[in-house]
Amino acid sequence: MAAEELPSEFDVVILGTGLAESVVAAAFSRVGQRVLHLDRRSYYAANWASFTFNSLLTWIQQHHEEPQPEELHDWSSLLEEGEELIYLSNTDSTSVRNLQVFCFTSEEGEEAEAQSPDAPNTTEEVSAGDAVKETSETESADSKYEETNQKPEEEEEEEQASQTEGEEPEADQPTPTAAQSQSEPTKKKISYAQLVKEGRRFNIDLVSKLLYSRGSLVDLLIKSNVSRYAEFKNVTRILTYRHGQVEQVPCSRADVFASRQLSVVEKRKLMRYLTSCVEETEEQRAYNGRPYLEFLCDQQLGNNLQHFLLHSIAMVTEDTPTEEGLASTRHFLRCLGRYGNTPFLFPVYGLGEIPQCFCRMCAVFGGIYCLRHSVTCLLVEKETNRCKAVIDSRGQRISCSHFVVEDGFVGADRKRLATPTRFLSRAVLITDGSILPSNSDQQVSMITVPPVAAGCPTVKMVELCPSTMTCMPGTHLVHLTCQSVGSAFEDLSPVVTRMFRTPQSHDQEKNPSVLWCLYFNMADGSEVKGHDLPSNVFVTFGPDGALSHEHAVSQAELIFKKILPEEDFCPPAPNPEDIIYDGENTSTGGEEEQSLQTEE
Amino acid sequence: MSMEDYDYLFKIVLIGNAGVGKTCLVRRFTQGLFPPGQGATIGVDFMIKTVEIKGEKVKLQIWDTAGQERFRSITQSYYRSANALILTYDITCEDSFRCLPEWLREIEQYANNQVVTILVGNKIDLAEKREVLRQRAEDFAEAQSMLYLETSAKESDNVEKLFLDLACELIREAKQNKLDNNDTAPMPGEGKTISYLTCCNLN
Repeated sequence: MAAEELPSEFDVVILGTGLAESVVAAAFSRVGQRVLHLDRRSYYAANWASFTFNSLLTWIQQHHEEPQPEELHDWSSLLEEGEELIYLSNTDSTSVRNLQVFCFTSEEGEEAEAQSPDAPNTTEEVSAGDAVKETSETESADSKYEETNQKPEEEEEEEQASQTEGEEPEADQPTPTAAQSQSEPTKKKISYAQLVKEGRRFNIDLVSKLLYSRGSLVDLLIKSNVSRYAEFKNVTRILTYRHGQVEQVPCSRADVFASRQLSVVEKRKLMRYLTSCVEETEEQRAYNGRPYLEFLCDQQLGNNLQHFLLHSIAMVTEDTPTEEGLASTRHFLRCLGRYGNTPFLFPVYGLGEIPQCFCRMCAVFGGIYCLRHSVTCLLVEKETNRCKAVIDSRGQRISCSHFVVEDGFVGADRKRLATPTRFLSRAVLITDGSILPSNSDQQVSMITVPPVAAGCPTVKMVELCPSTMTCMPGTHLVHLTCQSVGSAFEDLSPVVTRMFRTPQSHDQEKNPSVLWCLYFNMADGSEVKGHDLPSNVFVTFGPDGALSHEHAVSQAELIFKKILPEEDFCPPAPNPEDIIYDGENTSTGGEEEQSLQTEE
Repeated sequence: MSMEDYDYLFKIVLIGNAGVGKTCLVRRFTQGLFPPGQGATIGVDFMIKTVEIKGEKVKLQIWDTAGQERFRSITQSYYRSANALILTYDITCEDSFRCLPEWLREIEQYANNQVVTILVGNKIDLAEKREVLRQRAEDFAEAQSMLYLETSAKESDNVEKLFLDLACELIREAKQNKLDNNDTAPMPGEGKTISYLTCCNLN
């Protein structure tokens, strides 16, 4: 683990380990390019990362802290004749904002362990309706967190008085509070201390997406053999939220026939529609440019089916044009039945595994990896306006033919700002049960929530069960995502309050309780913006709000094709079982390379 | 569904500092080679060797770090679903021994709870350069409830034993697990690989 010096010459240097950068890295390495892949962070996958509960708390902490601008080192001494420097941004404070954490469970379980007597401990209680009503603003016993833990969130001050807010204690041994949940005598709630203790069983994604079984990511995983590094679970059901109820959406033929909520007439209509919409017809074309909703209305399907088709199958909004709505409907139908009853897959251990799998592929083909290591500036040849080399955070000059960088590392002075950055609103909930209990407690559900009121965003929700290895037994992990209108809390808490039990919800006895939740906004990577950078520098953008991974995969492929138009993008890696090693036991000189080939 | 000819398949993962001889151990075991001055193994993800233990065929899939340990940047996904970990250090390099607690932290964070870990002190052929006494390593391994073995990939000392002992231990555990939960309920984390899903779940 000693700090070695990096080699000083590469074909491609890549900064940032998000999905697009990682796919680029694998693609280049796979065709023999020398790749150096760096990330300033101490973890892989950038804003695509998955965290254990405890490392998520650390991540939250880091985003609460004021970014410490690093001292700008003057590297002009490394310049050669005819070169100039472009400094990269050394803080990534812009892509995540408005973090708010709420803890609705007790600090300690019923069997509270011995208190540490000297722990500073302030607990205030706020009564709000029924259910769990304590608020714990607990100072951490660990002094190194005290300062930052005390820092209030801007938004928290604006919240209503009934709002329960809790800053999480970061220490490994949380300070116990006297307050305890009295409202639930039967079911013992999982305490905050248990969440921390079992923290490594969580893999909490910063983004919430699914893999379409015939989407470009699944195709790429299969084509490249990167799929060998990951395992997947089927999303087992599609749900929707209507009239205050969670309902299952019948989408496959089997589902339609088995559905108890549809009448015989509806079943027939739905089957006919799903069969007919696969082919493009004159009638459909007549609706081009007009809302898909209008088209659906005119099919005389009735409200139930119309809702399912618009919100859960096409997953579009009421004003999406017909051609777009039909295209998404067809994509959904094409993906059905490849792996299971729904069109979607989810990676075991979370989405953060996927970029890492591509990084592994890159490394297997010789790519060099270095986390906690960044590029501070680019050396640009003035005459050609090409980046000749980069200077890393240790002041080493590393030459490269191409440089790929995640947008977050590009300084504001290099961005051609047209419009203000758009954001996504995200919420992550740890709950004590499924939103729609069924005979199996290991369901993975995709839930579409149409706008709860006019002007509110459509919310995509994914509920994960413990067998996805993303949450501890006895809990479910719920991800909510929408395009942000206001802050994440403003956008998503109305949905959370309606669908789950929190201190703010009323008469929601049968809904699962929220034990802990996090709201935050993340920059929407779907906006590709221009930059004033040399022509051999390529910028990648972070996660977008879509459910699929198309955006990241297509960015990566585009960059690869620009640089190496003749080469195959991520050709299959040889199967280790097919590799034949030449010269077994015959090498005498010891110098000769082991050549390898694959069997067909 | 499988046409594969084995009774057990185990994934064994090597970790430890760069240069302690991880790749040499794998090569020695799987190919009987000791390639001096060998470079990185480009394009080789893992190596396979099928061994027979008490009449049962055991297929060992042995994964190497792909060089990501050089700058302490191993992907978490590398540890996932490993049945056994071989934590390797170099007996002639104190530094590689001192890094072991750091590696154990990674294991604790990312590896499966039930993973079998074995500590290996490699390069015993360089006895005159030894920096880490055997007793010290044994004490350390015992404190961490790991097995301990000293090997020489070069002289092929204990290399077979290392992998065969591991295989025996893994079989023992697998049989125990079968006894403990003899139902067909899927174990947590029993996901499927895409290719597996492809060939089995078409409907």
